[in-house]
Amino acid sequence: MSLSKLIKVSFNSLLKYKGRTFLMMLGIIIGIATLTVVVAMTKGAQNKIMQNVQNFGPNSVMISAGGGKAWGPADEHTTTLTLEDVTAIKESVNGIKYIAPFTMHLEQDIVYGNKYATCVIVGVTPEWADAWQWYAEKGDFISDEDVSSLSKNCVLGQTIVKELFGNQDPIGETVRINNTNFKVIGIMKKRGTSPIGMDMDSRITIPLPTAMRRLFNITHIGMLRLYLVDPNRLDEVTKSVASILRERHHITPPEEDDFRVTNSIAIAKTVQGVSQTLVILLGLLSLVALLIGGIVIANIMFISVNERRKEIGIRRAFGARARDIMNQFLVEALIITTSGGIIGTILGIAMSKGIAFVKKMPVAISWEPFAIAIVFSMLVGVLSGLQPAKRAASLDPVEAIRG
Amino acid sequence: MIELKNITKTYKKDNSLEVNVLKGVSLEIKKGEFVAIMAPSGMGKSTLMNIIGCLDKPTGGTYFLDGTEVDKLNDDELSHIRNKKIGFIFQSFNLLPVSTSLENVELPLIYSSGNVDLKHRVKSVLESVGLADRLHYRPSELSGGQQQRVAIARALVNDPAIILADEPTGNLDTTSSEEIMAIFKKLNQEGRTIVIVTHEPDIARQAKRTINMKDGKIISDVVIPQ
Repeated sequence: MSLSKLIKVSFNSLLKYKGRTFLMMLGIIIGIATLTVVVAMTKGAQNKIMQNVQNFGPNSVMISAGGGKAWGPADEHTTTLTLEDVTAIKESVNGIKYIAPFTMHLEQDIVYGNKYATCVIVGVTPEWADAWQWYAEKGDFISDEDVSSLSKNCVLGQTIVKELFGNQDPIGETVRINNTNFKVIGIMKKRGTSPIGMDMDSRITIPLPTAMRRLFNITHIGMLRLYLVDPNRLDEVTKSVASILRERHHITPPEEDDFRVTNSIAIAKTVQGVSQTLVILLGLLSLVALLIGGIVIANIMFISVNERRKEIGIRRAFGARARDIMNQFLVEALIITTSGGIIGTILGIAMSKGIAFVKKMPVAISWEPFAIAIVFSMLVGVLSGLQPAKRAASLDPVEAIRG
Repeated sequence: MIELKNITKTYKKDNSLEVNVLKGVSLEIKKGEFVAIMAPSGMGKSTLMNIIGCLDKPTGGTYFLDGTEVDKLNDDELSHIRNKKIGFIFQSFNLLPVSTSLENVELPLIYSSGNVDLKHRVKSVLESVGLADRLHYRPSELSGGQQQRVAIARALVNDPAIILADEPTGNLDTTSSEEIMAIFKKLNQEGRTIVIVTHEPDIARQAKRTINMKDGKIISDVVIPQ
């Protein structure tokens, strides 16, 4: 019996029993649709997070004052990181292209006219722009002269520009921060979201000494960013920075560090680890759904083999070999699960798009769920169809034809 | 062409009580014969039919079909014989209920490897039994006589040498029965070997040879002079 005849016969008999065919397909459709949505959503989330990690910068090391494991800006009141630490690192660690100490001050009010906004103030040196690869889109960035003269110039992030100025050009205007007037000299390029979900465009940069002495009266810095010559040396640099700081701060393990040092690869790994766990969990869930779908198919097929005994007998009487009968039932199961898989994928993609639209969540549609769906549903087809097909083939023709 | 030697058939019931349906049947049927096997119901004539048709295997004895010893063939070879050499016709028609006349008649062709023009062959066979206008009807939309004619077309579609009919008129009225028997006579005139199992003397009388069975044995074998 040729393959084309086999497929035709199986297809025809499925079409004759549309209701049953649909019921058998349903389990697979639900399982595959779930799988598709899960993959699309987790991949979407992962892509977004990886984009944020990209925003962090691919070849940089960040040092932040204060111990612990949580990542994020340093607590302003932690005084453990100083400019002397920065000098020591600069002198003894190789492979640093740019080094940028900075302070971060969260939840600061900025006022322009009768409008105000909440922002993050960052005290920086000119190298900060190079270390972040993040420059002024319009106007100027903080210069050496701003630093040496403790100038009251500032550069605004785009979210703040939008909130305070709308469409008006802010350059040359005066804003008030902490009861001090600052002159806007530039606007930063748009940057997006940080790995921990902060809006990086609601920042205002001012000269580092201005922040330390004029505004906040501190002698410590919050953070330090290194931009490396060679991204392959991320781990090496991260380790040597840690050991220098431990030495300078007189920390001997297992004593806890009073600083945190991390790099983009480490952050990416953490993020991926979390979403990997999620993918595995949800993936298992949809596999269970598929498994149940397979069991349903196997059961309905057993019943169907019983109901179609007469048909099997008739086919045998007119020349069907035992294996023709077996192949027919197996191909029927395969057609059911494969088309269920295809329908499920399409449904899953539609649902993902719907979720993306309604819930404003990122989804990534890719070829992988489709391939997985086809492979899995064919596997389910073979596994669930095999036993019923064997039963059908082993029926005694004389017995079968009696019905 | 058909040669049965001392064929026995024993069924084991659930409580291991053995039932001897055939108790040593020897029989020879030559090419082109028209044979009626007569027996009361439940006396093993269907079993004999199934054995001749290679659908069932005897418990003992030997069966030669065209010189081949059938007992020694495997499932694939038996299926091939059923497909090419035998055309079955049943009392209850045994058509696939959800399929049209065309699809039912096409069935044996699905399992043969020949490179026949399928649609054309199926249509011409259905035309030859007078059903050219019922190609797309389902069995439930046809009369009993028409259904049996679809079944005959199905038996003929692969041009088998032997037609085996098990009570072919058992479910039909007199007119339809006569139509069916007329078809058998015509097929026999064309050279086909026909074996009919029946318990109706009127039907048996129309064959050229009548074999009477009782209690699993042949009790008479009469050639009717034409």
